[in-house]
Amino acid sequence: MLKYLQERVNKATKDFDTKPEETKNSAQGQRETTDLAGKQGRVQELMRKLASKLSKENDAEEGK
Amino acid sequence: MNLRLATLLGVCALVAASAAQAQHQDAAGPVQVQNPFTPFDQARFVAEAKALGATDAQIDGFQKLVADNGLARGADLLLRAAVPAFDAAVQLQESSDPKAALELAKLLAASDKPLLRAHLRYHMAEVFLEADDPERATDILGDYIRNDINHSPLDGEVAYYYAQSLAEIPYPELAIPRFKAFLQWFPEASERFRSAAHQQVLELERQRDSRLHDLADRMRKTRRDLQKKKTDKPIQIDQEKYLEELQELIEQFEEKEKQAGGPPSGNGPSSNPATQSGLVEGDGSVGQLDKKPTLADRWGDMKDRDREKIEAEVQNNLPPHYRKMLEQYYKKLGPGKGNR
Repeated sequence: MLKYLQERVNKATKDFDTKPEETKNSAQGQRETTDLAGKQGRVQELMRKLASKLSKENDAEEGK
Repeated sequence: MNLRLATLLGVCALVAASAAQAQHQDAAGPVQVQNPFTPFDQARFVAEAKALGATDAQIDGFQKLVADNGLARGADLLLRAAVPAFDAAVQLQESSDPKAALELAKLLAASDKPLLRAHLRYHMAEVFLEADDPERATDILGDYIRNDINHSPLDGEVAYYYAQSLAEIPYPELAIPRFKAFLQWFPEASERFRSAAHQQVLELERQRDSRLHDLADRMRKTRRDLQKKKTDKPIQIDQEKYLEELQELIEQFEEKEKQAGGPPSGNGPSSNPATQSGLVEGDGSVGQLDKKPTLADRWGDMKDRDREKIEAEVQNNLPPHYRKMLEQYYKKLGPGKGNR
């Protein structure tokens, strides 16, 4: 799922980057980058949760 | 430690001249850095506060301010009382007014008093941190550490926030030794800061060796770059790299799964399944419905001419160092609603 979500963010970033500068610098452009940042942030949070979960599991296994 | 190394360390070691250089230095192993901070000298502080305009009555009230608010806050309140322009700028900050950064920077550019500069830089760092801009916070706190230490009881908090800003960028390799230095050099700091620093060191050290945490750290930086409207090739290359790394990690886990002869723990059926299905109890609301307007909201709500006035002042009334800092700060706050 993480990979799929990251693919979506990558595509949206590329699509946004091809827009004219005027559009990118408009208020709508600002909203789109805020939205993009939010999506990247969600992937980051999921990645962090997964990393924390796996390290706890590893710690538990090593403790056995 | 030889003389050359000792000279290079001290204050300069606390402040990262550049991330790459400092990362290289930290990677070389732990270094014993000489503590550049001296214990708070109240007599010196009072003399400097008087030189800034504090009256005898204000100085007499200082102990009460400290008793009511703690040493760092008490000192800040005394300076606010002594320097009305500083107080006015901090009031703007407290009301989340976008003009606060400009007013603080103007006072900073005009002041040659280390005590006042220290407090101005501290408040500017707060403004930047509130705007989720740890890079700018690191810059201004670095200026404080290079130029203004040993004048104000804010030193301890500055050392903590410097490490915290580095952790948020994220530069964990730079943040860990600085959190440790804070713990070593400020044993009298409030328990709130010391406990947070301990937690940060444990968490950052635990994360340091994890490839997944490293990936999450880099994604956090990309999130911030996207927020700053950076969507060009370097960002896209970083994002492509995340995909490649995710694919590699998936393959590694699949391989591990095969070797273990089953799915990794966590994917199997629950050992304690629910006896009935249904929604958890609660009001179902997400987030804060009566959310206070953010700094960016306040900036967006300003009239175009007020925003343009601030931008013109940044261009015309600030030296290059602060101009660049504030250009980036206001750019990040976004365009006004008049442009929407």
